[in-house]
Amino acid sequence: MKVKQGFKLRSICGEFIIVGEGLAQVNFNKMISLNESAAYLWKAVSDKESFSVKDLTDLLLAEYEVEEEVAAKDAAAIADKWIEVGIVEA
Amino acid sequence: MTRTFRVAGHLFSVIMPEDHPLAGKMAQYGPFEVGDDAGEPLFTVEIVGSLPDIQAEKVYGGYEEEGEPVIELSKTDDTWVCDMAVCKGKPVCARMHSDSSFSRGRLQILRPGEGLFGLNNALMLLFAFRTACLGTLEMHASVIVNGGRAFLWLAKSGTGKSTHSRMWLENIPGSRLLNDDNPIVRVLDDGTVEVYGSPWSGKTPCYRNEHYPAGAFVQIRRSPDNVITRLKVLESYALLYSSSSGFKSDTAMADGLNATFEKIISRTPCYVLDCRPDADAARVCSAELIK
Repeated sequence: MKVKQGFKLRSICGEFIIVGEGLAQVNFNKMISLNESAAYLWKAVSDKESFSVKDLTDLLLAEYEVEEEVAAKDAAAIADKWIEVGIVEA
Repeated sequence: MTRTFRVAGHLFSVIMPEDHPLAGKMAQYGPFEVGDDAGEPLFTVEIVGSLPDIQAEKVYGGYEEEGEPVIELSKTDDTWVCDMAVCKGKPVCARMHSDSSFSRGRLQILRPGEGLFGLNNALMLLFAFRTACLGTLEMHASVIVNGGRAFLWLAKSGTGKSTHSRMWLENIPGSRLLNDDNPIVRVLDDGTVEVYGSPWSGKTPCYRNEHYPAGAFVQIRRSPDNVITRLKVLESYALLYSSSSGFKSDTAMADGLNATFEKIISRTPCYVLDCRPDADAARVCSAELIK
């Protein structure tokens, strides 16, 4: 999967939000709030050509002390969420 | 003829022939006029008889609501083109070419009857774009001043911003209207959030060259009940973002606006007021804002 063009992660007073700022997203009128771990993942993959659920899982394992099984489940859930709200294409 | 104006501390100039029909129609700018020696303007708009034909790529336009002004933007490598129409379905009445730093606009009036509309929108556009990185927001709001502080009502056109201002003027002692459509908000060097009147005030002729510290930003939402609720950080951000002019697809402009939003949110409370268009709404709102 890959991040769609025109989305930007913003940090506001310690909180994270994704807004559609690029020309490709001039009609996108939602804002997506992210928690800290989701923002960490977004930063790591947003300029990649493509990434997989496995990449997200590895990123979580590298940063947080979690079981691989839990990380894999969280990674899959967040990838689904990003696709569902339209900021990532499968 | 060159006339220079200072709005929210920012200087700009309008250049036009001495005998141009618009020269006598700029009364709303009067309170903001300064002498030629005030300093170097941030930007100028020159009214010209014609503009060169250029092939520019459309980057924005066509999302306006019914009855709202239509602004279309297109650009080449070094020039932005802005076409303006009074509303959807009306022909383009004015076109501006601007350099890519928004410092120099050249404006051609295509429909003389709508010349002032064209000049106002050209100036508002350059003002918003040129100052976006200078801690400045051009906001869509109606503003009441009470007790030396400015309170901004924010919402889409037709929701009831002006009506809520009227409810304050009629029911809350000491209230004055600062601006009814396009005030300017600046974050000053010491972090103060200051609200300024402007020469642009929608349908209400209220062009005050005055400024006050911001008391609160309040989203107006129609409801059967009058209830005011403090907004959290991200809700506040969304409110300021959707109420500020600027072209967020331009990274430099978006970065500038974003820095300003963050400073405002860290200093000034934002609320949502669910309300009826009545006196009680103003009382509920003022009870929270003026403690």
